[in-house]
Amino acid sequence: MTSQTSLNGTNGTRPLDGIRVADFSWFGAGPIAGRTMADFGADVIRIESEARVDGLRLGQPQKPGKSGYNVCAYFNNFNADKRSFLLNMSAEGSREVALRIIERSDIFLSNLTPRVIERWGLTYEELCEVKPDIIAAYQPMQGLWGPHRDFLGFGAVLTPTTGISHLSGDPDRRPVGVGTNYPDYAVNPGHTIVAILAALRHRRRTGRGQRIELAQIESVAATMGPALMDYTVNGVNQDRKGNRSTWMCPHGIYRCADDPSGRERWIAIAIRDDAEWESLCAVAEGSSFASDDRFATLLGRRRNEAVLNQAISDWTASFDAASLAVHLQSVGIPAALIQDAEDMCEHDDHLAERGFYAYLDHPETGISLYDGPTVKLHDTPGYLASPAPLFGEHTFEVATDVLGYSAQEVAELTASGVLA
Amino acid sequence: MTQTALDGVRILDLTSEMGWYAGKLLADLGADVIKVEPVGGDPARGRAPYWNGAPGRETSLRFWYFNANKRSVTVDLGQYDGRWLFGELVKTADIVIESWTAPERSELAELGVEPVACMDAQPDLIWVSITGFGLDGPRSGWQVTDLIAQAASGIATLAGYPDGSPMRIAGNQAYIVAGISAAQGALLALLQAEAIGAGQRVETSIQEALSICQETAHLQWDFQGTSRERIGEQHRMPGIGTYQTRDGYIYSAVGIPGFGSPWSELIRWMDEEGQAEDLIEPVYAETFANFNMRALGVQEELAKLAPIMNRAQEVLTAFYASKTSLEAYEQGQARRLLIGMVASPADIGDDEHLKAREWWLEIDQPTRLGADDAQIRFPGPPYRLSETPTEIRRPAPKIGEHNQEVWVDEVGIPAEDLIAFAGEGAV
Repeated sequence: MTSQTSLNGTNGTRPLDGIRVADFSWFGAGPIAGRTMADFGADVIRIESEARVDGLRLGQPQKPGKSGYNVCAYFNNFNADKRSFLLNMSAEGSREVALRIIERSDIFLSNLTPRVIERWGLTYEELCEVKPDIIAAYQPMQGLWGPHRDFLGFGAVLTPTTGISHLSGDPDRRPVGVGTNYPDYAVNPGHTIVAILAALRHRRRTGRGQRIELAQIESVAATMGPALMDYTVNGVNQDRKGNRSTWMCPHGIYRCADDPSGRERWIAIAIRDDAEWESLCAVAEGSSFASDDRFATLLGRRRNEAVLNQAISDWTASFDAASLAVHLQSVGIPAALIQDAEDMCEHDDHLAERGFYAYLDHPETGISLYDGPTVKLHDTPGYLASPAPLFGEHTFEVATDVLGYSAQEVAELTASGVLA
Repeated sequence: MTQTALDGVRILDLTSEMGWYAGKLLADLGADVIKVEPVGGDPARGRAPYWNGAPGRETSLRFWYFNANKRSVTVDLGQYDGRWLFGELVKTADIVIESWTAPERSELAELGVEPVACMDAQPDLIWVSITGFGLDGPRSGWQVTDLIAQAASGIATLAGYPDGSPMRIAGNQAYIVAGISAAQGALLALLQAEAIGAGQRVETSIQEALSICQETAHLQWDFQGTSRERIGEQHRMPGIGTYQTRDGYIYSAVGIPGFGSPWSELIRWMDEEGQAEDLIEPVYAETFANFNMRALGVQEELAKLAPIMNRAQEVLTAFYASKTSLEAYEQGQARRLLIGMVASPADIGDDEHLKAREWWLEIDQPTRLGADDAQIRFPGPPYRLSETPTEIRRPAPKIGEHNQEVWVDEVGIPAEDLIAFAGEGAV
């Protein structure tokens, strides 16, 4: 496999060509937003420091047999296409360098806490002093102000505090979240990008920049609108209901036959109307549910949902999940194999044919998998031009080419611990 | 009057529920979003939950939430006249967003409602297609729902208990992520179109957009050849996971190497409240301080530490159980510990922080013709822009509420012609 899968035959014109991003973020929600901009052409300068190493550089998974700052795929995936610039904001003289970057940037991006933003002197008002039309995007956990301003968090803490944990999973068991730091990956970076792109349009039309405040708790709560309104309007406090739907039935995830190695296999099935139900019964001719009159109508299926789900599980138990999903889809029934990472990376011919995953050659990890751009523009597609930068790989280059320091000045700033 | 970010951008929103959020994001930023509905109205207008619990097509809180700020026109694309009217409307638009199923897409193409033809006639038009699996590839014809997308994107397998079934994340998150992806694509294409005068096709595959939420699962497969499995309640080490409190649950993320929020502070907290028991012995703080992420994956290392871990777990479980969720959350956070309350919708609705920040909006929402408006407390926006704040300018529309205004006043269809079109059921 080669890096060509992601290139989509483009000649390079992208919507954010010529835009520079000063990426002062770390971990997930900030860097992913930066990466989206890089995929679409922006020059994203990721500010890092030995004094404050991004925890994901030290996380998992790491390339087997390798160690150091450059071999963790968790970090690398979110930082492809960027330049890494070392700047120790605790060192004397560092703020001047930071402001020099911002002065030469269009967008400032940060998911640092409000306390650190203030300590480093990187509030919106301060940025405007050097770059009046800057678009400054802040992603504080709970906002730049308010009683919980200094509360800490990340995706695994946001999942419970925004209602997702309470409303997800088995109603008979304790709420354990969703197995990942879910809001960090698509919701918070995604909302941030939408706001930044809107602000870019405004700047093009008026010459004015602005401050974007994405309080992560608000960004995630905004995805839970209907459940929140059931409380604020009706006083109804919803509970989790497993994989059931409020209107589709049956609607669930059913166990199929284990694969030859003993791996559990499951299928998701969602029946939206009586016609799809009849199609399912035709496929499942001879099963206990296909000829059961109790299930002929939506109302009947809902009233007997537990019995129905058991009957469907009994039926799916002997099937190969992937083949059954293909068969059900062939008669128009929404169904899918519950895919795990092996399925996604090795057996999903559809994703492979679309070339979603990019395989980029990284100096320390070799050919490695990266997520492709999550939206496709047919004429000016995003693409990954380079793998994640090595720690500090572009410090000299950025300091001289972008910031205009002489080699002598770079040497001094390095010796004094600023560029470190 | 404040200028909005998307002033002067007209968007036709033909989406089903799975695409509603894209139009909402853009409408709240100031775009003129016109919902183009079939003559009987969007079939998803009747989805739960309902105002006062009363099911109906004019009482869906879900519909109101995702369709505020949009205007509504109706048109029957199955009729020739309806298609002609739609064609006239497209000429006034900058962006079209749809989420047609594959059968709908080919049926409409046969009738001549076809993106490529529209874009040929109108070179600066942007056409956004939200699909389950993309416009091409072997599964492009597959049917999709939120559950199906969560299954196919590799995230359902990670949620739930190891001895139970994979689980779906609440809140139709596949549709949310689809909407975010499509809004991004629409805006990227808009920036490009306004710079060079050329529109283009934009495509969201929900499977792809959602798959980045696998976190490290796919990366682990790439590096190690193993698939991550759901872990449910198997705390990998004490301090991390869901804990019962006096009145509910909290999630605690204390002691993750590299995340701050150290166990030593947790021990200090328990000690100050006289509940640390033998955890004040240095071996506990030292063990946790020396722990690293790598050890979490190494069974032998974990086994060696089991007596210390088990005792710490026991004491901590009793400590959290002595507090309410809100106490554990606020007191822990005051000590800069990563603790989150497992909040219900009521907890969020009553949250002092969100209230102090005036996140909630008050909206007058008409329920049906002639009846009084419902006064509703409406969730606020995901972000706050200082120069071009989002706003809710109008409540969700009734079916075809803006037919007259759009077709006659803006598209320029003579009023008597509109009456004729209505008579034959085209609008």
